[in-house]
Amino acid sequence: MQAPIADPIQVNRASISGPGPVLKVDNLAVAYKVRGGEIEAVHEASFEIYRGESHGIVGESGCGKSTVAWAIVNFLGPNGYVKRGSITFLGQELVGKSEEELRQLRGDQIAMVFQDPMQALNPSLRIGDQMAEVLTVHRGISREEAEARCLHMLERVYMPDPANVLRRYPHQLSGGQQQRVVIAMALLNNPALLIMDEPTTALDVTVEAAVLDLIAELQRDFDTAIMFITHNLGVVARVCDKVGVMYAGEMVERGTVEEIFSRPRHPYTQGLLRCVPRLGMNKAESILYPIRGRVPPPNARPFGCVFAPRCDYARERCLQEKPRLRPVSAGVGESVSEVRCHFAEEIDPDQWRPPLDLELPIAATPPAVSSNTGEPLLRIEGLRKYYRVQGNALRDVLGLGAKRYVKAVEDVSLSVPKGITLGIVGESGCGKTTLVKTIIGLEEPSAGKMHFLGFDITNGINKRDVRLIQEMQMVFQNPDATMNPTYTVGQQIARPMLRFKTVPKHRVREEVIRLLKAMRLDASYYDRLPRQLSGGEKQRVGIARALASRPDLILCDEPVSALDVSVQAAILNLLLEVQRQFGTTLIFIAHDLSVVRFFSDYVAVMYLGQMMEIGPAEAIYAPPYHPYTEALLSAVPIPDPKAQQKRIRLEGTVPSALNPPGGCRFHTRCPRRHLLPDGGRVCETETPPWRDAGHGHRIFCHLPLEVLRTLDPVLTTPSHEA
Amino acid sequence: MLVNDCMTRHPILVSPTLPAAEAQRIMVEHHIRHLPVVGEGKRLLGLVTRQSLAIKPDTLASLNVWEISRFLATMTVERIMVKADQVITITPERTAERAARIMTEHKIGCLIVVEDTRNPIVVGILTETDLLAAFQAMLGLPTAGVRVTLRVPNRKGEFAKIASVVAAQGWGIIGVASYPSRRMPDRYDVVLKITEVGPEEVQHVLQQIPDQELIDIRTVV
Repeated sequence: MQAPIADPIQVNRASISGPGPVLKVDNLAVAYKVRGGEIEAVHEASFEIYRGESHGIVGESGCGKSTVAWAIVNFLGPNGYVKRGSITFLGQELVGKSEEELRQLRGDQIAMVFQDPMQALNPSLRIGDQMAEVLTVHRGISREEAEARCLHMLERVYMPDPANVLRRYPHQLSGGQQQRVVIAMALLNNPALLIMDEPTTALDVTVEAAVLDLIAELQRDFDTAIMFITHNLGVVARVCDKVGVMYAGEMVERGTVEEIFSRPRHPYTQGLLRCVPRLGMNKAESILYPIRGRVPPPNARPFGCVFAPRCDYARERCLQEKPRLRPVSAGVGESVSEVRCHFAEEIDPDQWRPPLDLELPIAATPPAVSSNTGEPLLRIEGLRKYYRVQGNALRDVLGLGAKRYVKAVEDVSLSVPKGITLGIVGESGCGKTTLVKTIIGLEEPSAGKMHFLGFDITNGINKRDVRLIQEMQMVFQNPDATMNPTYTVGQQIARPMLRFKTVPKHRVREEVIRLLKAMRLDASYYDRLPRQLSGGEKQRVGIARALASRPDLILCDEPVSALDVSVQAAILNLLLEVQRQFGTTLIFIAHDLSVVRFFSDYVAVMYLGQMMEIGPAEAIYAPPYHPYTEALLSAVPIPDPKAQQKRIRLEGTVPSALNPPGGCRFHTRCPRRHLLPDGGRVCETETPPWRDAGHGHRIFCHLPLEVLRTLDPVLTTPSHEA
Repeated sequence: MLVNDCMTRHPILVSPTLPAAEAQRIMVEHHIRHLPVVGEGKRLLGLVTRQSLAIKPDTLASLNVWEISRFLATMTVERIMVKADQVITITPERTAERAARIMTEHKIGCLIVVEDTRNPIVVGILTETDLLAAFQAMLGLPTAGVRVTLRVPNRKGEFAKIASVVAAQGWGIIGVASYPSRRMPDRYDVVLKITEVGPEEVQHVLQQIPDQELIDIRTVV
């Protein structure tokens, strides 16, 4: 067959999709007036968004992403103002207009969705009233008509049982449903521009996947331009057409999503992509490379290139001369990306070698098999944790009503060999944290047995021996909440040493400093207060404190989920180093499946208090897997726009643990139930068996292993096929 | 194709208090000829076109130099726009051809798309340019392929013949149109755009159809 001759007429998107961009931000600088001067939070940001396009803005926290969004909607607060540059929305300048002019100009044409849906919803109004208000107040639509439209819009965002939702209050909805209500509300006025500031960061990965699907679909149907702010590169790869990377208040790179991910030009973008674990990476084969240093504060930005102090390619010119955002030819096609780097053409990310002074863990050796044969460090059998629920009815108050329990952890059995990492994953509310709290003794188990180092630890922490307590420590998700703000870092780390008498008193200071050094913090941190530290540094102190008593087991409850990707990589490396050096066993909770895959030797998947699957990490991430694991994997946002991911979305929300479904707890949402004869009737009535897939890999499902093995892998990347 | 599928959503809208000079600037900068004027809640109040901006020379001639500048400074969009009751609107559910008909009948360059004609909330605008873009899309631009025109007798079953031949070859059609042949009342011209095949092959196969005449074939449109 003869190849057809290429058509000479090229698509000119601008000429077909109507006039000009919806939003054009040009050379924007935003400053906040503070005591003794002003802080320029955004220094130079330029981008434009066309109709029906979604433009991602990524960067670490403190880079000025949200400030740009606030400048667009004039939400900077009394001390913030636009210092330079222009913001043009549908052809009209927004900067320098009065409040009333702005209101008329923007009217209801810009809508915003924030990270926390509860910020946007009035807790004292029913959903229906709040939503209808948008239409009755702005548009003078009658109440009945408005309600009909709200109902229709809720249906468009796939809200289950929308008519009922209209009559509920915000707190009666789950987080994902709240965010849907906010998105529906934002779209009621058919805005030309939708600004989304981390809209899915607070949501579970399964809910996040559904919300992202929804955003992509709505963008297509409503032709809305979307400005999508996020720190998650996986999310950007999934929903955005174009991406702008911001660093220290400047746009450092801009281009189509394919360009940015396949050929990042700016060293910062390259660094960001090196810090995120990709699904399928593990610690034995690959290393995460954190970006050294940290984002400079706005008042101490370097004179030349803002990234120069952290850049591996920095030369004399980078320190002397500020680079401009300039176009670089992409070579293929017409897509042009822009980059703010003097040497973008010379830098080849494939030639990159980690600099010698970058602290990297030595690739972790896989745990010796021999160590598994001995007595496991921690053994749990049939652990249950129920919480008694007090009803509000009179008979409940009098103690006459039926006793009801939240079954937070149901029949969990596992054993953790010495020196390995066990990762626990699952949606929020599945009992991960309760399990860990029960192990450490903060909660007393309702039933079951726990053995640690051969000792029975079923009783509460007050009945444990001090030396047993010493061997088990915890790192918390939120270092702010677990550090005493009035004690210095040194005192906080010294506290467990004094309590457990691991170090003689006169050598405590020396030991604390040694630990701080191990955490890559220098001795000057000894006298600092927690508020003088950044998030990543606080988490380092948290880890140092957990290590202070030289424990055998450290329980990490989401230690990196509150941190930026570059800091996350550094903390993960640190934990790996700690494990290698001290032989510590880790139990690692995270909701990010790529992180768990990277970090753990064994993985346990939990759903609604029940262990669904447990096994070696590499076995969990390939068939055969539990249908729930499969759904979780298909929901993970992959930082690679070319990756082909199977699309499985769970229906509905996690059922209440107060009254969990009988049989298999997952049967109400299981997408694979129909593979069983009779539509999976057995799942509703009978508790599934544990099926052993070998090598300690067990699956809690009625489906036979032969069926589970035939499921296609969730993820295929082009590189895998090659 | 419905108006909903070819209109421009989120057009540039202006408020009635905007100075006329500013409206002129927006139109020039964005290469557009129509500016819907809206009030609270995007309710249609009027339309500014290039004609609205043309001020009669007599009006200016009667003013002296100082009066002109004041005259222009106080000139707002509200004073020059075509009022809403004279603006022709359409709803998104109507067809594209109907929209084109309305535009040719009234000899106008655009239709304002509103949610509901009784309650005119602007949801988009349909201009000549949008219809020309729709026309290109219907004929399969900008995708590469073989564009072929067949002259067929005006009777039932002729198109089915073409369709079955194309189906037998396993070709894909990305654009199709048919219209009465010029000055030949018993003939219709059918235009097809077929992808992933060479022109020789198409010509060879389509020439075999009885009673039909291949009158044009090209790969470069």
